[in-house]
Amino acid sequence: MKSLIIAWKDFKIRFMDRKGFSLMILFPILLTAILGTALSGVMGEQSLPKTTVGVVQNGTDQIGDYFIKDVLKGKELNDFVSVKIVDSKKKLTSLIHDEKIDAGIVIPNGWSQDLQDGKLKKVDLLVDPGKELQGSMMNSVLQTFVNRVITTSTSTKIVLTNTAQTLSPKEMNDLSIQLSRSLEKLAKSNAKYVQNASIGKKQVSGMQYYAAAMAAMFLLFNIMNGAKSFINERETETLARLMCTPTAKLSVLMGKFLGNLYFCIVQFSLFLVITHLLFHVNWGENIIQTISIALMYSIAVSGLAIFFAALLKDSKTADTVGGLGVQILSLIGGSMVPLTIFPNSLKTVANIAPNKWALSSFIDIMSGTTWNALLLPLTVLFLIGIVSVTIGTWRLQAK
Amino acid sequence: MLEVNHLRKSFGKTEVVKGVTFTVDKGEAFGLLGPNGAGKSTTISMICGLLPYDSGEIKVDGFSVKEHQMEIKRKIGVVPQDIALYPTMSAHDNLIFWGKMYGLSGKQVVKKANEVLEFVGLLDRGKDKIETFSGGMKRRINIGAALMHQPELLIMDEPTVGIDPQSRNHILETVKELNKQGMTIIYTSHYMEEVEFLCKRIGIIDHGEVIAVGTKDDLVKRLSGGTVVKMEVNHFQNRLVEELNTLPLVEKVMVNDDKTELEILVSSGHQALGELVSTAIKNFIEVSSIKVQEPNLETLFLQLTGRSLRD
Ligand SMILES: Nc1ncnc2c1ncn2[C@@H]1O[C@H](COP(=O)(O)OP(=O)(O)OP(=O)(O)O)[C@@H](O)[C@H]1O
Ligand SMILES: [Mg+2]
Repeated sequence: MKSLIIAWKDFKIRFMDRKGFSLMILFPILLTAILGTALSGVMGEQSLPKTTVGVVQNGTDQIGDYFIKDVLKGKELNDFVSVKIVDSKKKLTSLIHDEKIDAGIVIPNGWSQDLQDGKLKKVDLLVDPGKELQGSMMNSVLQTFVNRVITTSTSTKIVLTNTAQTLSPKEMNDLSIQLSRSLEKLAKSNAKYVQNASIGKKQVSGMQYYAAAMAAMFLLFNIMNGAKSFINERETETLARLMCTPTAKLSVLMGKFLGNLYFCIVQFSLFLVITHLLFHVNWGENIIQTISIALMYSIAVSGLAIFFAALLKDSKTADTVGGLGVQILSLIGGSMVPLTIFPNSLKTVANIAPNKWALSSFIDIMSGTTWNALLLPLTVLFLIGIVSVTIGTWRLQAK
Repeated sequence: MLEVNHLRKSFGKTEVVKGVTFTVDKGEAFGLLGPNGAGKSTTISMICGLLPYDSGEIKVDGFSVKEHQMEIKRKIGVVPQDIALYPTMSAHDNLIFWGKMYGLSGKQVVKKANEVLEFVGLLDRGKDKIETFSGGMKRRINIGAALMHQPELLIMDEPTVGIDPQSRNHILETVKELNKQGMTIIYTSHYMEEVEFLCKRIGIIDHGEVIAVGTKDDLVKRLSGGTVVKMEVNHFQNRLVEELNTLPLVEKVMVNDDKTELEILVSSGHQALGELVSTAIKNFIEVSSIKVQEPNLETLFLQLTGRSLRD
């Protein structure tokens, strides 16, 4: 009973906080719009010219691998483009000369090493002067890919760095301007040939993918926010005051857990409804499945919040650890760049990220799946929640 | 109402409460006077059941704090030293929340919140968020939150730190009124005047020990005839202090920070005046004023500890 009062109080505080509300509800929607439109786009009905493209990749680079494997050799371009891997630029030039290939792409060493700063190194595109059509198609594919990677990483970075702090209205304003600039850049780029195939084997649109990805990522922030809400109560002595009331420690902890859970559920529900109404995102045929995953994911997130509340000493550390943690989890959990980009070893590591389980389940549900297939993610998420809330409660009760 | 017996508490190796003993009767206002770090808050935390104690015993209404935590928590209202409220919630919502945590509900809790707001004089600001309040108003709501469940025992930990005189007077009047209505009150402070104004009985605590308990008059009587003489000088030399210390009537000499005033503890004030002034003159120091202070708790504290209550 007392825990419900505490939970409701926490929910109200979080929900009524205007900054928190925009960060947690408006931002994911805005980002979905940006990232989703960058990714979606139609492979036109018109038939494209058959193209043979030679690719030289200097050194190794994840983005490079991804580009070759999932874009050039990807499903959508498969019918038109055949890829030939070439050792050197010299060979490439001579192949073009001999008209063995129509165009050549040279991926520089460490293509994506400056991605942190929103940059990709320049790629050389060599075209047979007589094959202009094929050349411009390859140019579009390449341009679109580069734009997409940069926008994704930049806007995600902007939001992540800023969400970690509380913002003043002016900062919020600046942030919106930053975001709309990225959006503008995108609009200017000629996003004709963006294709959907990159998103694993499933037939989900970019908008769908990023709606799911943003839901998974932004719910993740509740780990940090929930932990901080607890740490705040400890720092401002309201926790001491709570302990002076005739309320069991366990009820207080349950209250904190439930308050976070309420917020997660409302946040997700609003996001689901708004993305559906605004962007016509199709969350799949079976809404009960979506809700079940969302619920288990919320339990995982709220449990982890209690765990971190027990682990971290003050709210500054929580900000640092939380900001970094969300970035890492979003990255390895596929919220920034699709999971398919990852080498297999990293895909295994991704299993520790609760958002990965949520995201891949949402995608599965969108493309149609059975309850049986969802059993594993549902269990994993539930266990993450229960185990972490148990450990957290046990540690906090000891204090 | 409250019995504290040989209470002890250590943090690590340092013992901060060293055998504190005192009792508070029903309906009484008891003052706990002591300087920073004396152990007031620690003692209070143990009474409220926030902090376990190492040894000794605390009984509220005959119940041991260790065994009957929940019953005792219902009887006690605590005003913490820091503002323990939710800044983004309104004053009204804060009061309602704390009321509910004490088991109030429905119409009852809303009615009580309005009563409390009126009592602390902030009924018109009830809908405003705590973060928009001045320091003094926050303090008043901080007290109000402890009154929601009409506690039998109200424990206040320095409820007037850092506020303007007007709010302070308002708070003191409020507390006095509560005591008149029959509420038992424990009031900690390092302001002698507050404790003297509110409390019949006073305990003086220092370094984790209660060094004196009694009514104000009892305590002042314990001054062994000692008096404090305040002497203002227009310049200062260390030699003066040295010479004053050699005088037979002088027990202790203290100099304030800007070296314009000396506080001299003497065994007999009026007799010493002449000698004090002539010593100053001998050292070519001009005395701009000199007065004998009425014996009060501050004098007692000075005599007992050799330090003043506040820096
Ligand atoms: N959790 C703690 N861990 C270690 N030491 C502590 C802890 N809490 C208090 N102390 C120490 O115990 C001593 C008494 O502190 P306490 O807060 O009880 O003093 P106080 O009389 O309330 O002082 P003030 O007037 O400044 O509020 C101080 O020396 C303080 O440093
Ligand atoms: Mg204190």
